[in-house]
Amino acid sequence: MEGIVGVFRELDATVDAVAAVKKLKAGDIRVYSPAPRHELEHLLNTGPSVVRRYTLIGGLLGATFGYWIPIWISDYWPLVVGGKVVPSWVPYTIISFELMVLIGSLATVLGLFVVSRIPRITMTVGYDERFSNANFGVWVECPPDRQTDVSDTLKKHGAVEVRGER
Amino acid sequence: MFWVGIGHAGTLISAILYLFRAGFRTTIYRCAEAMTVFAIMTAGLFPILHLGRPWKFFWLIPYPNWRLIWPQFKSPLVWDVFAILTYLTVSATFLYLGLLPDFAAIRDRERDPLRKRIYGVLSFGWRNSDLEWRHFARAYLFLAAFSTPLVLSVHSTVSFDFAMANTPGWHATLFAPYFVAGAIFSGIGMVFTIIIPIRRWFNLKHYVTLNHLDAAAKLCLFTALVVATAYITEFFIGWYGGNEIEHSFWYNRVFGQWWWAAWIMLTCNTILPLTLFWQKLRRNTTWLFTLSLFINLGMWFERFVIFDPSLSHEFEPWQWTRYAPTYIDWAILLGSFGWFAMWFLLFIKNFPVVAIAEIKEIIPPPLRVAHAVEGIDVAGMHLEYEPETPGERD
Repeated sequence: MEGIVGVFRELDATVDAVAAVKKLKAGDIRVYSPAPRHELEHLLNTGPSVVRRYTLIGGLLGATFGYWIPIWISDYWPLVVGGKVVPSWVPYTIISFELMVLIGSLATVLGLFVVSRIPRITMTVGYDERFSNANFGVWVECPPDRQTDVSDTLKKHGAVEVRGER
Repeated sequence: MFWVGIGHAGTLISAILYLFRAGFRTTIYRCAEAMTVFAIMTAGLFPILHLGRPWKFFWLIPYPNWRLIWPQFKSPLVWDVFAILTYLTVSATFLYLGLLPDFAAIRDRERDPLRKRIYGVLSFGWRNSDLEWRHFARAYLFLAAFSTPLVLSVHSTVSFDFAMANTPGWHATLFAPYFVAGAIFSGIGMVFTIIIPIRRWFNLKHYVTLNHLDAAAKLCLFTALVVATAYITEFFIGWYGGNEIEHSFWYNRVFGQWWWAAWIMLTCNTILPLTLFWQKLRRNTTWLFTLSLFINLGMWFERFVIFDPSLSHEFEPWQWTRYAPTYIDWAILLGSFGWFAMWFLLFIKNFPVVAIAEIKEIIPPPLRVAHAVEGIDVAGMHLEYEPETPGERD
């Protein structure tokens, strides 16, 4: 894993640099920003997040489990009252709802961690501590023969610092 | 019940107002969320204390124990266990998720190696990349969407503990919305109690502005009116319902044995909040803080009034009795405030009380070229700097 990282102070400079680097088709681009920015998201055009699938599956599993366990327990240890049906779905809806929320939420966080590839033990290459403060960063993973082009493009569009990392 | 209620405003501010895109939540939601988690932790102690056999509290959790005994899922007490545990877990998860980027920001600015390491672990190696932000935004939205019905359901479930019992004053279909509105109202009161001193001591006046407090005060006023409507409805049904037991109970509650508690509740929760109709008072932090103390007191008395008059004035005259708290009761109450304050003070000492990443999101980003339209950045988002606002009474 090697490439070029550029540090930017302004958002519009970062946007211009990313657009220019994309045209170079030098390699994968990763953009860092202190807060989420729609301009960068639209520019990278990465499509909808797959976290929603984890949420849906977790929620459905939770709701199903929330009905299943009280129904199973009711049949396992039946308390027959006045000839009524033993499993009573109305109160069990509360259990189902709570477990849908619980497991759906936990699955959402699990999905975030899986698709964002966190927890990360080391900070890996291409990161600078300024990116969480106020600066923007562009990391381009590219082979050595393209690094000069990428470096020049980043500098041309206002990078205050450009360096190679591996 | 008091502490679970306190927690509700935190989720309302952090989740429901997030879905409504209410800008004033940004600077106060972190404190409110932390308050939620610590309030539920406090609330969770009370059922265990009151079980009688606290070492057997885990019998309420469904697991295949050696006697193959399972909980009764038709019991409101079991619903309560599920609701509160879910609420605690989801609230804590929601709080932690919002803290992730802020932990990363602190990690990168920290110079002490040990603290840097600790914040590094807490941030899970967060790097502010576009990949992380994209999934984070979606996950945060879904958690907010889950928390919204959850906050409404939890206190509804708590209200079922009462409403399912055939006890005068409790057996009412009004209880679920009444409890939810009361919970949010009491929580907003506690938010003011916490945020106003923090705003002053930490000099956060340019983050937590008077406009934010004004908007939160309007929310407080709205929930106070909902609570007042619930009180009036209860009284009306007690009089109009034609049930002699209920009629006698309500008379005893408001004009009889418990008149003093009922009138403290009514004064603090319905009369004093009406002052928030005046903008000058909504923007007066001294009054907001004072009012919040009255709201806390009033909402504590609301729960006292729900419990004691009903249990001391049931159907038969031989059941009618008195109640006076023992010193152990007072010690447990004071201890709960101490427990809550301990966690909250630890939180504000070590963790950011204002959401750093969200503040960065609403301030205009630095640009090389100024945008053609003054006051609006290229993202179309601009939070105008609020100068010293007239009406500041700190």
